[in-house]
Amino acid sequence: MKTTWKDIAPVPTNQEFLDIVLSRTQRQLPTQIRAGFRIARIRGFYTRKVKFTQETFCDKFQAILDGFPRLQDIHPFHKDLMNTLYDADHFRIALGQVSTAKHLIEQVSRDYVRLIKYAQSLFQCKQLKRAALGRMATICRRLKDPLVYLEQVRQHLGRLPSIDPNTRTLLICGYPNVGKSSFLRSITRADVDVQPYAFTTKSLFVGHFDYKYLRFQAIDTPGILDHPLEEMNTIEMQSITAVAHLRSAILYFMDLSEQCGYSVADQIKLFHSIKPLFANKIVYIVVNKIDVRRPEDLDPEQRKELQDILDSGDVEMLEASCTTTEGVTAVKNAACDKLLAERVAQKLKSGTNASGTPGGRLGDVLARIHVAKPMGGAQRETFIPEAVKELKKYDKNDPNRRKLERDLEEENGGAGVYSFDMQRDYTLGNEEWNHDKIPEVWNGKNIYDFVDPDIESKLAALEEEEEKLEADGYYDSDESIEDAEDADVRMKADLIREKRVLMRNEAKMRKSLKNRAQIPRSAKSKKLSEMNRALDSAGYDVDAAGDRARSQSQVRGRALTRDEPNDDDMDLDDPKQSIARAKSRARSVAATDRRNDGVVSDAARDKAERMFKLGQKKMNRMARQGEADRHTTASLPKHLFSGKRGMGKTQRR
Amino acid sequence: MAVRAQFENSNEVGVFSRLTNSYAIVAVGGSENFYSVFESELQDIIPICHATIAGTRIVGRLTVGNKNGLLVPTTTTDQELQHLRNTLPDSVKIQRIEERLSALGNVICCNDHVAIVHPDLERETEEIIADVLGVEVFRQTVADNVLTGSYMSLSNQGGIVHPKTSVRDQDELSSLLQVPLVAGSVNRGSAVVGAGMVVNDWLAITGLDTTATELSVIESVFRLGEMAPGGAGAGVHKESIVESFY
Repeated sequence: MKTTWKDIAPVPTNQEFLDIVLSRTQRQLPTQIRAGFRIARIRGFYTRKVKFTQETFCDKFQAILDGFPRLQDIHPFHKDLMNTLYDADHFRIALGQVSTAKHLIEQVSRDYVRLIKYAQSLFQCKQLKRAALGRMATICRRLKDPLVYLEQVRQHLGRLPSIDPNTRTLLICGYPNVGKSSFLRSITRADVDVQPYAFTTKSLFVGHFDYKYLRFQAIDTPGILDHPLEEMNTIEMQSITAVAHLRSAILYFMDLSEQCGYSVADQIKLFHSIKPLFANKIVYIVVNKIDVRRPEDLDPEQRKELQDILDSGDVEMLEASCTTTEGVTAVKNAACDKLLAERVAQKLKSGTNASGTPGGRLGDVLARIHVAKPMGGAQRETFIPEAVKELKKYDKNDPNRRKLERDLEEENGGAGVYSFDMQRDYTLGNEEWNHDKIPEVWNGKNIYDFVDPDIESKLAALEEEEEKLEADGYYDSDESIEDAEDADVRMKADLIREKRVLMRNEAKMRKSLKNRAQIPRSAKSKKLSEMNRALDSAGYDVDAAGDRARSQSQVRGRALTRDEPNDDDMDLDDPKQSIARAKSRARSVAATDRRNDGVVSDAARDKAERMFKLGQKKMNRMARQGEADRHTTASLPKHLFSGKRGMGKTQRR
Repeated sequence: MAVRAQFENSNEVGVFSRLTNSYAIVAVGGSENFYSVFESELQDIIPICHATIAGTRIVGRLTVGNKNGLLVPTTTTDQELQHLRNTLPDSVKIQRIEERLSALGNVICCNDHVAIVHPDLERETEEIIADVLGVEVFRQTVADNVLTGSYMSLSNQGGIVHPKTSVRDQDELSSLLQVPLVAGSVNRGSAVVGAGMVVNDWLAITGLDTTATELSVIESVFRLGEMAPGGAGAGVHKESIVESFY
């Protein structure tokens, strides 16, 4: 959240504003225009001028509007503080005027641009532009007061301290001159002015300090006098705003010595009158200047009044003296501890789910800082050799340091060259044995299998135990016994399985070719009568086909004729014969009914027509004249894609 | 005492070494730098053994051991076993285990009293662990993770578990182990605390990337160096931490 507004751009006065905008128009747009230019060009020239001026005005106004904080968007504390300091109504009106001016200028620009469209000459255009700019300047000039006010607000706002309303805050308040600023000086490094007169502090001051690794902010407020809220001045109202809105620990300062010029009774009265603002906050009464007068020295009447405040339970009293710094740290720590505890309790409460365990991010954080400690019981002993305690810390630069493997490596050629001695540290009982060669395999036996001298006897013992177990029937499984019901079910299942196999075999036998070759249907012989029947049903002449078939079939036995004339005979060049053949040829007959010829029934004709249409389908779709039409049209017809065109050059075509 | 070290540019020192109260095993590397880190801290206190297991350098992940013994996987060769036997003191029992989960360092996490093991470990293995290492064996998970050896680092004085372990799990494990536990990380936020560091009762060696904060958590929970016993660090400023991180 934004807590400081130091980056608002300066707001120029109305005169500066005008100069900026007009000189910008002059500098950034062309200035040359002649009466002889086309009228459209002249109009464009002046329209641009008007529009540009308007845009510049609007941009600048928008920048001002965006730069200032919107009161409804900021934290209530800042909102109230700004209300106190600058008067929210005034502030809103000023910004409103700027916004209105922006709209007016837009309006003017729109109107004059429209008029320039109808101007007939350079002179007319120019006069219209002058009028437009003049009206804009007038609107701007009327903003004199708001602009001055906004500039002042900007300057003041930039100098406000950065107060974060949500962080850990100690708020110091009380009568003027009771030592609030001195306290801030002593707990933080804030350089607050401390003077021995009332209202030295005229605004809020912020100091920061660290406590328990956390950054706290302490806010010094101007003194408050005890009178109704309506009569309070701006300086006091700042204190009230801070007390009312900041989630903080409040330190109410009191001066029992009455050096501040206000009686103890007055101070107690003020506490009571601003008490409603302390609801839901941690409140401490800090008795300052105890080097001069302590609470014990008060007369009984005043002490009783003070005690009455404390008796309510939610207010505690602390004592400090800023001059001797006695108790200052105690006050700070007490306040911080309580504030922290309350904030943490609130966070734990909000981060804890219905079942009472902290979930989500809070759960993660808590899991990371949790130290799980055993509930007690066994104490785990440690085994730390005595030598550890006497071990001298290894120092790389010590000339008498212990020699490490790394040093040996360096001496013997460095990494990659040096090969360490694996057997150096063997603990075999005698150093000389360390480098003895030990074969891995000896007489075909793996040495390692015989490392244990008692291996044979142990193996024998194991085998003996195994035999014993076997003899005792340890491994005999007792799972072979099953009850009669199980056996019955098993037997029936076997029967069913067997029967099913038998049935399957039988079916296979029925269907199979019984050891004969599989012959394709077309290769099988057909009886003539079958063929006749089929042809007849299809509507063909059965007799011709039968004759033909008969003539094709070979007659068994001896040929009856020697030379039966046959169509299959070889043709010979015999003139008589060729004439005979020509005569035998059927004469061309007049057009027959091709629609019905060869069609036996209506159904057959329908089918034929359907087939015919299907065959034509593709041809029709491709717009072919007939089957033989293979014409390919040009994909880029020249007459459509060449010739003169409106734009471009000849080469471009 | 906590030391940062690196094995050939890798921060996972727990992969390449195994540290116990009575011996240390270090992988054979290209240079002796890593070995010398152990040497400078442990020389003449406990034996440090250069070793390979099944020809690999990931000795920390394949083996598991404590003061009393060492368990190696079935893939260990006879020569490697012989070398370990010759180097380690006779009081340390060495046992080769036939176990399907052969990366014993990943599935078993132990100190000298207790072992937390993968729930799928065979029953025979469990018995061997109890016999050879002289520990009570519990089948448990760490932050719902079965690889207890990878996600937990344990000594007789304390332990670190996976950073996402819930408070309830931490309490449960702590009462099982009877040592204080914290959820933490090593090597700049790595969750594999078992593989990122090795620790015994007086020394911790962590990856070079370990941050100062992580190191201070390690030193306080394992009570190393100047950390006074009982001062387990965090919790003192619980309020500040909740306030600033939530």
